[in-house]
Amino acid sequence: MIRLTIDGQEVTVPEGTMIVDAAARLGIDVPVYCYHQALGPLGACRMCLVQVEKMPKLVTGCTTAVTEGMVVHTQGEAVEKGRKGVLEFLLINHPLDCPVCDKGGECYLQDYTFEYGPGRGRFQEPKIQKVKNGPINDLVLIDQERCVLCQRCVRFMGEYVGEPHLLLEGRGVETVVTTVEHQPATSQFTGNVIDLCPVGALLSAPYYHKGRPWNIERHSTICPHCPVGCSSLATTRESHIIRMEGRPVPDRDWGWLCDRGRFGYDFGYHPERITDSWVQQKTTSAAQATRDVAEWMQRTLTQYGSGSIGFVLGGHFTAEEAHLLRRFAHDVAHTDHIAMVRDVKGYLPLSLNGTFEDVAQADAVIFVGVDPYEAVPVVHLKLRDRLHHFPQLQVMGVGPRRLTRETMPGQDYLIDAEDEAIFFAKALASRLPNDSRVQALIASIQDYSLPVSDADLEVFGQKLLDAQHLTLLWDGENSDMATVLSVLADVRENPTAVLPTFGPVNWRGYEQAGIDPQYAAVEDLLTKVRNGDIHMLVLWGADLLREFPDRKLAQQALEKADYVVSAQVVPPLDMPYIDALLPVATWGEVEGTYVNMEGRLSIGAAGVQPPGQARPTRSYVVNWARLFRQEWQDDAWDVFDNAEGDVLIRADAAVASEITLTRPATKPADGVWTVIQGAWVVENGLPSEILEPRETEFVGRISPDDAARLQIGAEGGYVQAQTSEGSVLIAVRPDPAIMEHTLWIPRGSRHDWAQHLEGVLTLMRPEEVPSV
Amino acid sequence: MSQKYYLLRNREIPNIDQMAVYQSHGGYEALKKALNEYKPEELVDLVKKSGLRGRGGAGFPTGMKWGFLPNDGRKRYLVVNSDEAEPGTYKDREIIEQNPHQLIEGIIISSYATKAREAYIYCRGEFLFGAEQLQRAVAEAYAAGYLGENILGSGFSVDLKVYRGAGAYICGEESALLESLEGRRGNPRLKPPFPAVAGLYGGPTVVNNVETITNVPAIVTYGADWYTSMGTAKSPGLKIFSVSGRVVRPDNYEIPLATPLRTLIDDYAGGVLPGRRIKAVIPGGSSVPLLLPDKLDTPLDYESVLQAGSMLGSGGCIVLDDSVCIVGATARLVKFYREESCGKCTPCREGTYWMTDVLERIEHGLGTEEDLDTLMDIADNIGGKCFCPLGDASLGVLVSAMKFFRDEFEAHVREHACPMGAKLYDTVNH
Repeated sequence: MIRLTIDGQEVTVPEGTMIVDAAARLGIDVPVYCYHQALGPLGACRMCLVQVEKMPKLVTGCTTAVTEGMVVHTQGEAVEKGRKGVLEFLLINHPLDCPVCDKGGECYLQDYTFEYGPGRGRFQEPKIQKVKNGPINDLVLIDQERCVLCQRCVRFMGEYVGEPHLLLEGRGVETVVTTVEHQPATSQFTGNVIDLCPVGALLSAPYYHKGRPWNIERHSTICPHCPVGCSSLATTRESHIIRMEGRPVPDRDWGWLCDRGRFGYDFGYHPERITDSWVQQKTTSAAQATRDVAEWMQRTLTQYGSGSIGFVLGGHFTAEEAHLLRRFAHDVAHTDHIAMVRDVKGYLPLSLNGTFEDVAQADAVIFVGVDPYEAVPVVHLKLRDRLHHFPQLQVMGVGPRRLTRETMPGQDYLIDAEDEAIFFAKALASRLPNDSRVQALIASIQDYSLPVSDADLEVFGQKLLDAQHLTLLWDGENSDMATVLSVLADVRENPTAVLPTFGPVNWRGYEQAGIDPQYAAVEDLLTKVRNGDIHMLVLWGADLLREFPDRKLAQQALEKADYVVSAQVVPPLDMPYIDALLPVATWGEVEGTYVNMEGRLSIGAAGVQPPGQARPTRSYVVNWARLFRQEWQDDAWDVFDNAEGDVLIRADAAVASEITLTRPATKPADGVWTVIQGAWVVENGLPSEILEPRETEFVGRISPDDAARLQIGAEGGYVQAQTSEGSVLIAVRPDPAIMEHTLWIPRGSRHDWAQHLEGVLTLMRPEEVPSV
Repeated sequence: MSQKYYLLRNREIPNIDQMAVYQSHGGYEALKKALNEYKPEELVDLVKKSGLRGRGGAGFPTGMKWGFLPNDGRKRYLVVNSDEAEPGTYKDREIIEQNPHQLIEGIIISSYATKAREAYIYCRGEFLFGAEQLQRAVAEAYAAGYLGENILGSGFSVDLKVYRGAGAYICGEESALLESLEGRRGNPRLKPPFPAVAGLYGGPTVVNNVETITNVPAIVTYGADWYTSMGTAKSPGLKIFSVSGRVVRPDNYEIPLATPLRTLIDDYAGGVLPGRRIKAVIPGGSSVPLLLPDKLDTPLDYESVLQAGSMLGSGGCIVLDDSVCIVGATARLVKFYREESCGKCTPCREGTYWMTDVLERIEHGLGTEEDLDTLMDIADNIGGKCFCPLGDASLGVLVSAMKFFRDEFEAHVREHACPMGAKLYDTVNH
């Protein structure tokens, strides 16, 4: 630790701390533009000039590390003159179009000029003219004239993200930030440069000229699009969410967002947003629909007694709303048939659930079936951050496709999803053959052979045991992994943490509210509907045909139920089977608690009015209770009861009581296509008009070799998939992460064809399909 | 004037750029001597003893620089800075174009001394002929077994590559040079770490000027005592001065350090044109302050020139006579820095732009009294506040010109025109 004095106050900071950060500890603000703690020192803008005793010149506080006994002055004539000079320089070519600048009022150039700058400019010469409002891509604009060339954006994209889509071009005063070859930046993290930009140079295209600080409100909230639940700020104006920004959390989170989260906020007023009720093919008022549904529930209960109604949750509801529904189901609708929709079979006990701190501490990470870049993008950035601080980070991918990538290099073990757990088990067994827990694990699969050499198994097994801090990201596809993970955590001496990447986004919150998160629970409920044991199905945000992998069961249940009620934000694929469609308020419109993949509780703020007749879950529940002539009284349940700080309390991990693995069914013969699925944040969840330019129709992916054979270019194309049930035209593109004879499709795709890919036999060019 | 040349040997020996000619005049004998008679550490000591100082401009002792390399087993690099772009300086150009083998021999010896396994010559983009000469000479050296594996059976190996820059003054700054050499934008790097610790590709790196390295074979051949017999105790040896401006014989002159400035201008360069007098001299390249005629007896060594109020710098001696408009000359020089500012740091990028505009306005009679104060204040806001030395370099001439010739600036303002007719330097923005 280093002790130094800044403006007469003593402070003790770790070695290597820069003066600006040491000053910040004391609450002393040293103005900076180019410096950002996540990016490290650069020394370009010269805004942070401070005076250090015994040094002949002013020094930049962002590039000067503290030394023992250093005496720093952030005030005084020399410092003030230095700052004033730098600000004057920054302003000479700055257009001073603050009155029409989106950043006006939230701009560091304005703030610092006001605080430290010259009151009057002396520059009389013509200003350099550059591009105004040129595109970085469809979502981000650049005003090169306003740019102060701090390079935060260029360094963020190049060094931090590792996708160098921005660069400096030209020299001297003609220098500009632009994109490589002037082509649109395609990274999914480009929006962060808007937050990073200290001035009005990088602007959000959808927010362009939409609001000024005095006519907007900012709500501290979280992003609802994936299980990361990034801390963010929602900007609202006239009851519309018009912007999302990252919200840094000191010492924990830099506040990065992916473009999906940053720009996908417009579902609230998306043209497809359900704003009216719709009962048995007719549009009606929400009040009437509420009464109709209440009557159906009463009729069902009268006819079939308690337990005849089933509730399935999905969507983006709060833990409190889940609790309301569970209580309503139990107390009023007299049923305990309540589950949440699941798209994978895996479940992770809270005891194994790590936090992002386990990413920040990891020396080895394993992606089990999941590419975090696609499924939980900001976790990819957290891993990049770890890689910066710890370049030796071991990265491994285990799954049916390549899961590491150029920006997260590592080793891939290409293992079929159904073999993932066996791979882990055998790897452990190769190093710990005498451990009883491991023996139990492999008892049933001892003779099951994997397409992996013994040497590879041993190396992987050794890595599993050697890691000082092992963090796994798990897609939940192979449900046996939970057993393997519990054994792994038990046999390892050092910390083992798992971060589940599957949804629904608030599944842990629903679980806290008492809703069974197991796949078996929803499967069992739908089986009961299909078998006629449950007569009425209430789908709260769940879209079975899109999200539930056993499409046949879902369809049979939807067909069989006397009444299907669906509360939704946008029309579901279940639409043809629905008797009543209820417009429901969602994220941004209702305040409540979300629990993310770390088991961390955050409050989603209510910033806007639900549109049209959309109303909160609570309104429906309370109204129904009244229609059932029951007094609705809130209880004292509180999701924070089970939290320490903002994190759910973990019980000590216990090894699963039953540690046997399922033996996969025999593999299909060679030459038959394998269909694999993965989460892709661009494709899942709620639709966004803003993000349409980023979306591709060609969401299916095949190997580049297969694509070449099928004459599919890099941008994608159509192929005919022959399945056991017929033939369907699908849209695919090449992806080097995909193996040959494998078709990857995003889970929960909005594309109808993605639901019809049972037993793909072959892909062929449309014109090659033999006529029937 | 007949003299013995040690660096510009091409002046005495025609076609010394050819391997055969160079060899027949003792070429690569110093290399053999170094490899046979010296351990690397002994060579470092020899260079330390010779007192050789960096000829790029900073004058840092070369042997000491070599001694900074950490002994941690990492791969070392030697990078030769041939990005000579300082206005008024053209000494390295003559070496690489006319006497490239002596440079290459120096590089091999220096690599041996610093235990560098890989060496680069970073050649200024505009030096097409020089780069071609170097490439040809390097190929000859490889063919002769002076480069590559196990040189002359010594067990020492080094590879040398010639890299052409894209034409940027800033790449003469060693860390920007390394950035450029690595294929990135030529912007200076944060120091520390210095190149000795983390230079090219993060490895320990020595960056030396062409002239500095060209001295090395001569020091090996003739010894440290020979070298220290010239110049002063602190500034020993030989230096090439590039004389330009209003003199009769603008050229490169290889002379011992501490030769008086007057001798260089009058005896070597033939003095100013008949009927003219010296108005001022920029003794060390365009980045250093002006000297007035009363300092013409200053010995040209690092300490004396500094004492006289300027710097020896790169040895680019620009002579201004009484027909020169000092405002125009200053405007033209400051404009150079504006064009060559890399754009990384604010004061240099914006300040040089602003100063150029103001200076050109004054030169063309559109300046005000206030502009003169503004100029000095801009200079104060640049001075000592930039990321790298380029910003300060832009001020050398301006600040001294304002100090010595303020009346001339004021006359421009007062008369709303250039008293010299603004003919000499066309400073209109093209």
